[in-house]
Amino acid sequence: MPSSRTALRPRRPLLLLAPAILVGLLILFWPAQALRSDNFIVYMPSTRSVIPLEVIDQVKYLPLVPVLNAVGKVGAIQERRDTFKVWFGEVQIELRLGDRRVRVGASRLILAQPVRKPGGQWLVPVEFLTRALPELTHDTIEYQVGMNRIFVGDVKPISLSVRLDPTTNGARLTVQFSEKVAIRTAASNGKWYLFLGNRPVQPLEPSYHFQDPYVSGLQFDDQDGIPKLIVTPAAAGLNFYPTLAEGGRILLADVLKPPPPPPAQAPGGESLPAPAAGPSPAPGVTPVAPESPGGATGPALPVIVLDAAHGAEEIGARGRDGILEKDLVAHLVARVRLSLLATRKYRVLLTRVGDANPPFQQREVAANMVRPAAFLSFHAGNLGITTPRVVVYSYRPSSEAGAEEAAKGPQLFVPWAEVYRSHLERSRALAEALQQKFALIPGVTADKPAVAPVRALRSIDAPSVAIEVGSLTTDEDSGALTNANFQQQISNAIAAGIEAFRGGTS
Amino acid sequence: MPRGAKILMLILLGVLAAGAIYLRVLTRRMAVQPPEPGEEVARTRLSEAALQAAAGPSQTATLYFPSYEQGALVAEKRTVTWAESDTDRIRQVLLAQIEGSHQGASRALPSTASIRAVFLAADGTVYLDFSSQTLSDIKPGIASECLAVYAIVDSLATNIPAVKRVKILVEGREVDTLDGHADLSDFFVPDLSPISPPS
Repeated sequence: MPSSRTALRPRRPLLLLAPAILVGLLILFWPAQALRSDNFIVYMPSTRSVIPLEVIDQVKYLPLVPVLNAVGKVGAIQERRDTFKVWFGEVQIELRLGDRRVRVGASRLILAQPVRKPGGQWLVPVEFLTRALPELTHDTIEYQVGMNRIFVGDVKPISLSVRLDPTTNGARLTVQFSEKVAIRTAASNGKWYLFLGNRPVQPLEPSYHFQDPYVSGLQFDDQDGIPKLIVTPAAAGLNFYPTLAEGGRILLADVLKPPPPPPAQAPGGESLPAPAAGPSPAPGVTPVAPESPGGATGPALPVIVLDAAHGAEEIGARGRDGILEKDLVAHLVARVRLSLLATRKYRVLLTRVGDANPPFQQREVAANMVRPAAFLSFHAGNLGITTPRVVVYSYRPSSEAGAEEAAKGPQLFVPWAEVYRSHLERSRALAEALQQKFALIPGVTADKPAVAPVRALRSIDAPSVAIEVGSLTTDEDSGALTNANFQQQISNAIAAGIEAFRGGTS
Repeated sequence: MPRGAKILMLILLGVLAAGAIYLRVLTRRMAVQPPEPGEEVARTRLSEAALQAAAGPSQTATLYFPSYEQGALVAEKRTVTWAESDTDRIRQVLLAQIEGSHQGASRALPSTASIRAVFLAADGTVYLDFSSQTLSDIKPGIASECLAVYAIVDSLATNIPAVKRVKILVEGREVDTLDGHADLSDFFVPDLSPISPPS
């Protein structure tokens, strides 16, 4: 007997150890699950709702009932083990567990992902919002794929663009807003927070990363329903001096080494209260500028806006070898930007950075706000069997429906859909100047300038052209278009063409 | 029954139960596969017009197809026995566009094109409602999208005098563009030299 007791003894600690490990793992992972803070924001004209987001198999899901409550009022609910029926006004919505088919009133939607029910809560993929909400609310829906926010109804989100310039003893962050904003600042955990008031905000990019010794990043966040920008300094002990200019449309924030030099208050500048745990206010304002060559100061240089078409899931045309239009034009724009900056005669603004696809309206706002000297939109597509080939287009409407309105003279509101009319001649001159330079490139076919209803050009308040390179189709390899020499020659020709268009002056 | 056999039976029962549940999931997955929208959808809709065509006059129609190489539209003559109503004639022209050129020109509409609805208003405006699948099969590009749209518009206006302008809808709604290039927000009026600069 004593020998059998001795044999059992070592098992007891093992039996105790297994539950202890289990409890330990639960304690370790339970808070991580509970503290997940991904939210989805539903912006309505007068309200906004913060809805917890679930990510299952890399797909974003939202609880159906809170979503419906955010955009209206849920009526009766009928739930069974595998089916869920909910009435939204007169419309009945029916879900089945694990099924991609969703019945919304009389119509049936087929979603890309199935309905889920983890923890007893019925979840629908985010795609459900764009597919079903227009039918349920009879309102317009604005949703940018990948973003955690949606705008329902007559909501006009403020757009913003960002740039960072080096200064003598620090860096200047310039944030341009499409409309006036009221900004409140705060500092916490070594970061600076810029609260952007109550208006909904839709940034061109969710975050910006800088290779700068003073500012390492800027992130937009509205996960708690309050739109704000979070500035991350690249080092400790830096001072932050935010200033509003142009009536609240432009935020200028200087990040400087301590002690701060005494800056001069520029006319028209409006000081902001400094962050609580940050530096004392010492505003300094200079004219806002897009990217300047080498951070040069002095008289304002004309701005050239470069618009790389498509982006993100909007891939555009595709070559036989898998080259996508969105990538091809992004590379081309990067080269054109360098060619223009190398002339030291222009500043350059890009309508998209990285693999994003800002909607046309955001691109137009970004371009029109800087009053550019020229707007160039880059495309690639099917231009027949001759390659490489370049065609330059200026805008031509598909009908003269807006001509009568335009002929009436000045109107109360700017008719943005007709704004191209005041630049038709200059746009054609720009197309002509560019085509003449393209024609000089050996081995490249440069067609005569063409006219077409190109959407990207319609609401640009400047001489504007679209440059299409080709052929990029599934019938052809795109080697000629991705060739570095070809792209560089095109870039140089564009710089020379703009120079010729502007009469050799900056 | 020996204890080992009982355990084995339990394991087998568990495996059977898991298999039954998995089979149910698989069956459901198969049931929710959406039907593939195909060429037949367009054919079925448009052939209705073709079937009615015998009632009308037989004439030579002029159809336009894109030539991406020339950056222009090329005309093609074809004998068509017209339907009685203008709306059916519009369907006939679209059917001919889906059929494609007989002389080797490019397509304006893909063979998978699906026309959801055609409506001719009293002021001569034709509303063409395409499926989103139709548009995703059109080759993207400024020239290709513009030529494709004008090939349709010009073919309709040339053969059906009642057609004055065309509005293109997708899935019953107004859209900004075909695939990021051609501006579809406005009506299209016929133009036989659509992307040539004004002289």
